[in-house]
Amino acid sequence: MTDITLEVNGTEKSLAVEPRRLLADVLRHEFGLSGVHIGCAHGACGCCTVHIDGVPKLSCLTFAVQCEGKAIATVESVGGPNAEHALQQAFKSEHGLQCGYCTPGFVMALIPFVEAMTSQRRMPEDDEIREAMSGNICRCTGYHGIVAAVRKAIGDQIAGGSNRS
Amino acid sequence: MTRAENPRHIGARVLRFEDVRLLSGAARYLDDITRPNMLHMSMVRAQVAHATILGIDSSALADAGFPTQVFTADDLGSLSIKAHQDYPQMQYSEQPILASGKMRFVGEPVAAVLADDPYKAEDASELVFVDYDPLPVVGTMDQARDASLPTLFDGWKSNVIVEREMKGGDLDKARAEAAHIIRRTYSTQRQAGVPMEGRGVVAEYNPADRVLTVWSSTQFPHIVRTCLSEVLNWPESRLRVIAPDVGGGFGVKGQVYPEEILVPWLAVKTGRPVKWVEDRREHLMASIHARDHRHVLEAYVSAEGRLLGLKADVTVDNGAYSTYPFTSAGEPGMVGKVLPGPYDFQAYHAVYRAVATNKCSIGTYRGVARPSAVFSQERLMDDIAEELGLDPIEFRLKNIIREFPYKNVLGFSYDKGSYAESLEKMRELLAADRTEAEASKVSTTRRVGVGIACFIEQTAHGTPDFIRRRVPIETGYIAARVEMEPDGQAIVDLGMQNHGQGLETTMAQVAADALGIDPKDVFVRHGDTLMTPYSVGTWGSRGAALGGGAVHTAATQLADKLRAIAAHLLQAKAEDIVLGGGKASLKADAGRFVEIRKLARIALRNADQMPEGMTPGLEASFSQDGPADGTYSNAVHAAVVEIDVPTGKMKLRRFVVVEDCGVVLNPMIADGQVRGGVVQGIGSAMLEHFVYDAECQPLTTSFADYLMPQAPEIPNIEVHHIVTPTSLTPLGAKGMGEGGAIGPAAAIANAVADALDVQVTSTPLNGNAVWRLSAALRGE
Amino acid sequence: MRPASFEYHKAVDIEDAVRLLAEFGEEGRPIAGGQSLVPMMNLRLARPGHLVDINALPMTDIEFDDRTMRIGALVRHEEYGRDPRIGKHFPALLDAVHWIGHPTIRRHGSIGGSLSHADPTAELPAAAILYDASMVVRSLGGERRIAAVDFFESAYVTTLEPGELLVAVEFPIPPRSSAGSFMEIGERVGDFAIASVGAHLEFEQATITRAALVCCGADLVAIRAPEIEAFLVGKTLDAPQAVEVGRRFAAMVDPSGDHIASADYKRALIGELTRRAVEAACARAIESK
Repeated sequence: MTDITLEVNGTEKSLAVEPRRLLADVLRHEFGLSGVHIGCAHGACGCCTVHIDGVPKLSCLTFAVQCEGKAIATVESVGGPNAEHALQQAFKSEHGLQCGYCTPGFVMALIPFVEAMTSQRRMPEDDEIREAMSGNICRCTGYHGIVAAVRKAIGDQIAGGSNRS
Repeated sequence: MTRAENPRHIGARVLRFEDVRLLSGAARYLDDITRPNMLHMSMVRAQVAHATILGIDSSALADAGFPTQVFTADDLGSLSIKAHQDYPQMQYSEQPILASGKMRFVGEPVAAVLADDPYKAEDASELVFVDYDPLPVVGTMDQARDASLPTLFDGWKSNVIVEREMKGGDLDKARAEAAHIIRRTYSTQRQAGVPMEGRGVVAEYNPADRVLTVWSSTQFPHIVRTCLSEVLNWPESRLRVIAPDVGGGFGVKGQVYPEEILVPWLAVKTGRPVKWVEDRREHLMASIHARDHRHVLEAYVSAEGRLLGLKADVTVDNGAYSTYPFTSAGEPGMVGKVLPGPYDFQAYHAVYRAVATNKCSIGTYRGVARPSAVFSQERLMDDIAEELGLDPIEFRLKNIIREFPYKNVLGFSYDKGSYAESLEKMRELLAADRTEAEASKVSTTRRVGVGIACFIEQTAHGTPDFIRRRVPIETGYIAARVEMEPDGQAIVDLGMQNHGQGLETTMAQVAADALGIDPKDVFVRHGDTLMTPYSVGTWGSRGAALGGGAVHTAATQLADKLRAIAAHLLQAKAEDIVLGGGKASLKADAGRFVEIRKLARIALRNADQMPEGMTPGLEASFSQDGPADGTYSNAVHAAVVEIDVPTGKMKLRRFVVVEDCGVVLNPMIADGQVRGGVVQGIGSAMLEHFVYDAECQPLTTSFADYLMPQAPEIPNIEVHHIVTPTSLTPLGAKGMGEGGAIGPAAAIANAVADALDVQVTSTPLNGNAVWRLSAALRGE
Repeated sequence: MRPASFEYHKAVDIEDAVRLLAEFGEEGRPIAGGQSLVPMMNLRLARPGHLVDINALPMTDIEFDDRTMRIGALVRHEEYGRDPRIGKHFPALLDAVHWIGHPTIRRHGSIGGSLSHADPTAELPAAAILYDASMVVRSLGGERRIAAVDFFESAYVTTLEPGELLVAVEFPIPPRSSAGSFMEIGERVGDFAIASVGAHLEFEQATITRAALVCCGADLVAIRAPEIEAFLVGKTLDAPQAVEVGRRFAAMVDPSGDHIASADYKRALIGELTRRAVEAACARAIESK
């Protein structure tokens, strides 16, 4: 067992973990963050995407011991219990989700992209949006609503100043 | 049956109520269920496709000091799943919960290992060794009919599980009158369904009330309960099956699997809660597969281009076991049933069979055999048009059914649809693409092609359809119980399970219209046998048609009582009262009203104010069965492809759907169902292939090998609706959950055939296949 | 699908890392981004007894001198992929980076990790072989350089010895005007290549003076084509006989079929991608003049 200290969704916590424990499992079971979903456990579907020091990473390809001292954010921290982040709201209004299992991974993977486009005040082409989500698999929506949600989130934030993020 | 009067919410683009918990991370899927003192199960699975088990040695576990328990078939006795159909032509087999005597496919559960942690359970399962004697492998449809190979089950005469026929009309006459006889062999490849959440089971036994609670990531908790009751000989009244949030199903979670029996059995045996969560490799190897078909078709066509008759020989590579409750006969039988399609002809004869091989069992995956059947049917239509020198859309229009109701060659009754209008609409939408495709014919390096697929889909079939099939599912109804609480809030307890279809929203829309309240004041509960009325679950495109019908009818009964109370208070007649906007008001004078929540309070708390003789309470239930022949949705799909001839690289430029599912409850959700289905169908057409080698070792057991569509491969999917309400369901809705997946393989194959001027007879149309098909253009 | 047990060691510097790797020998594996190693561990296809985490090591720079570009082993694909100097000198490498995986993979995967993993269809080993790169390798015994062509032994096998760590890769800067291109065909965006071809051309005026060609998909390692490269020398940029070059490369290779692509398909792709890569490189050369 190895002692580590992580900052998870703004709260610091120390715990002892076996080195082989995947960050995804530790977030789910030690921190109770059920929004981290495991879709393949071999880095090929994007469901488990979280932010480590602000950068999207697959938590099934990361060992918790590697995250000593790092700040981790999961979907739970993004828009609160009412899912108020502009991208979450756009997923809802554009029907970017159905069963919801892949959704937190898409949201976490796409937030930096949406933020970058918003700060550049640039509406990307659909191809660029699709490339940005190419590491995430959705089996329900056919991606159509997710592409629309990204466009809407960027458009709304450029037009109306940013929602909370 | 009455349509919703004055619908306010049905048909509206209501945003989904379930989205907030799914977006915020608050949803609870199977792996989020934990119980105190829980054990974790890891499976030891067959590593060879066909073998006699000589022994199972777990002594290494004790040597390594693992505090684990191992269970094998010897511990289970004769527990097995029996998915039999009462046909004389069917050979009987059972699927043991853990392999007993023989292993019949790679991935079959052989032993279960329990530990207090899933990592340790996986460690332990690696130390269980299965000693076996290999048997010759039955690996293909042809090998399954090779008498020199062993049968998969003792006592079988051959590896043909079932062979039956369906016929209507005079095929000899059709053949004799035909000016053209077109014979083709088409095939589609084996695929997996792959919901993003795999399967999983948790079980806990409470000796205090002798209730065994089972959480399963399933589409049909009541059916799981019934099967579990039968296999374990346990009263259904003391079984509770809960499907929590379910991360996609697509039919894959519409079978009962050995783990759903094993985990509860272990929970009782050990006296501790037990959990099993499928990993992705297990899912790909050992949850059901689909679409492994070969169809030999022969069409008889008049000189004028009229279809006179069709002969079909259908073989499905079923894999090892008959799955519960739809059985091995379900997949090939569906092909036999649906091949006549939307076309008017009078002679048909289909022979269909399922053969057993040493592969994962075939089960129901979105569309259930129809993607394969429509692939063959619609490729054949294009091939006939080509042979006769006719435009493929014109040829279809010449043969399309236009009079309704239509009794087809097998005696099935089609309710009204928009077959010809859909084709004509699609012809308009494709005009520019077809011109471009034609113009590209001068090129030998870059070709554009346009293909269509026209099909009908029998949906929401009722009990008579299942009686005809004699399958363990036996029935097809959906039940709902609608209640109102004293504060005027309504509850719908629905016998379906919501795993992405938006039922928590659409069913609230339906109830709200009947009850005159806002959809947000309706709480739709589902997925728990303790609180929902018995139903067959969510499959077979029955949510809107039958679930909606059940909710509408039950809520209307409740509304009648509300109206009666209101009439009493307002000194009016019940038929003069309308419910809406939270009020019961006079039709003639909207200013005279009672708030519905006041009526609810009277019915439940102030019964003294009710009309004389009326019993207290606000609750109504209804079980909605489907029409005997179902209700028929129809659609035309079209694909526009661009092919780079030197590399075979194909870009799907455009995909268009014109569809008619009758009354649409929520257009946003309906379009989402169509688009999601289409993209799964694009996967079927271009990418997804579950491959076995000659020894039936699976080669595609990870997402690096089993390739599903990602966003960059997919265009935006255009959806157009034509609405032809059906009179066969209460709301006029037809089924629509599966249709999206049915057409793409045919449409894309027809587009490739158009682009390259070749015959396309199989899928997947991946880069290698398209390259091979374009050999002539490269001068090879 | 969870990894077997291992011990975890966070190396503080290169000395520490090579000491740990020497201590653990065959049982030790360095981990950087983990984008290739951890999937194998989760599938239990790899089960190192000791993981040496090298992410804190000072191997994150891209350095140029007159003759060499040196990329530290820990530089992430996304980072060197947007360095304009790479586009100038090594356009085929820049092309190759864009074919690697998905955004999240490119963000975390490192050049050293990809090279050490030695996937037979990966882009970076091919680019390293194309540009005659050298692997800079450290161990307790000191530093040595291994030519790319000698580094990749077979699929997932390199000539790194137990106890050795790849610390950087050095690309010699082409001495003359040059241009290049890297082309790939995979089933989907981000998939492993079915086949890929890189071309590097050096030229004077409008004449090719030196050429390098590499392909993936034909063998267990990326392969060069010296005789065909020689054929290109002396051809002009506007008429490089690219079709013939492609035909020759296709005739030279002997790929094996698999469940995604047959041998004849791979051979045909290598021919066609060679033609396209040579033509694209020539077009870039003409544009740059």
